[in-house]
Amino acid sequence: MMSLFTLTLILFLIMDPLGNMHFFINHVEGIKPSRQKFIIVREMLFALLAMIFFSILGDALIDLLSISQSTVYLASGIILLLTALRILFSSEERYPKKSDEEPYLVPLAIPIIAGPSLLATIMLFSDTEPSISKMLTAIFIAWACSAVLLISSKHVVRVLTKSGLTACERLMGMVLVLLSIQRIAEGVVLFMQPHQIS
Amino acid sequence: MTLFLVANPIGNTPAFVSLVKDFEFERQKKILFREAIFSFLIALFYLFLGEPFLAAIQIQPYAVSLSGGLLLFIVALRMIFPPQDTNGSTTRPQEPFIVPIATPLISGGGVFTTVMIFSRIEQNYTSMFLAITLAYFFVTLVVVSAAYLQKILGRRGLIAMEQLMGMILTLISMEIIVKGAHMFVQALNS
Repeated sequence: MMSLFTLTLILFLIMDPLGNMHFFINHVEGIKPSRQKFIIVREMLFALLAMIFFSILGDALIDLLSISQSTVYLASGIILLLTALRILFSSEERYPKKSDEEPYLVPLAIPIIAGPSLLATIMLFSDTEPSISKMLTAIFIAWACSAVLLISSKHVVRVLTKSGLTACERLMGMVLVLLSIQRIAEGVVLFMQPHQIS
Repeated sequence: MTLFLVANPIGNTPAFVSLVKDFEFERQKKILFREAIFSFLIALFYLFLGEPFLAAIQIQPYAVSLSGGLLLFIVALRMIFPPQDTNGSTTRPQEPFIVPIATPLISGGGVFTTVMIFSRIEQNYTSMFLAITLAYFFVTLVVVSAAYLQKILGRRGLIAMEQLMGMILTLISMEIIVKGAHMFVQALNS
């Protein structure tokens, strides 16, 4: 089984706080700084709730729909792959245009942080990972790291500059493609296994 | 030397030219230089952190190859069938940034596996580091000189070449995917 570190790292990479940072900055622009922090914290809490919800329910849901494990691998791999390709090949218009309202739940918490790829990943892990407490710890650590990064986004941008941020986004996209291909490959392995026995 | 060949800057030159053709000459040189530097950094990253990092997120070597091939394939398809922009020509062409020139074209799966293999044989990090630096020095020279090729070819030659290069890039990417698939099947059987 995967170590806690592996779980955490993968979840953190898929949350992609560095790649999503400029969406956050865009969306909270023009709101008072103290209010901005509050909004980011609130959105992150929503995201955490969604993640915990899926990690607990994921297992049951997969059982209920009687989906085999290789399907979960393949499907979440494909979602992740498409998300990553979108990061790599179209930098603009990834998400709906900014509205004048204050962001609430949509789009910052869902889908930018807790998007379909992250939730599918969490479902997959909660299916393969027997211990729920380990899973929750991993989610929490990964979440806390991204939260810290996003709350201090202003400083991060100052250190990395805008093109540095783009570079991070691209590299993260590459890593996500790697992860997704690996997952699809594992799905294929799982799919092939029953056939090889005969 | 092997690294220089694997990075294959000469063979990729036409692809670079088509990717940056929409920019001013000076800007092209800048872009290409920047990409070369990035690819160097990525190669260094492979050397020092590649293995532990990939092991940490449980990625096998074949996945590196497969995903590199897939990305190149998409780029190649876009060269042959340019995406229709419905808003007319107002959309600014996207500048290549890290993807696809720095990785996976220069520092792709090939460089990755080569660096991995060499660093297993050669325990000495400094000589590996020197080899990479030297190889990438020449890579940078070749890559930057790709900008001059456009001046020679002219505009029409370029458009014709983009189609051809798309074709060839499709072949290269398929080759990488096939290699990855081969490694994958081997990993399956073992």
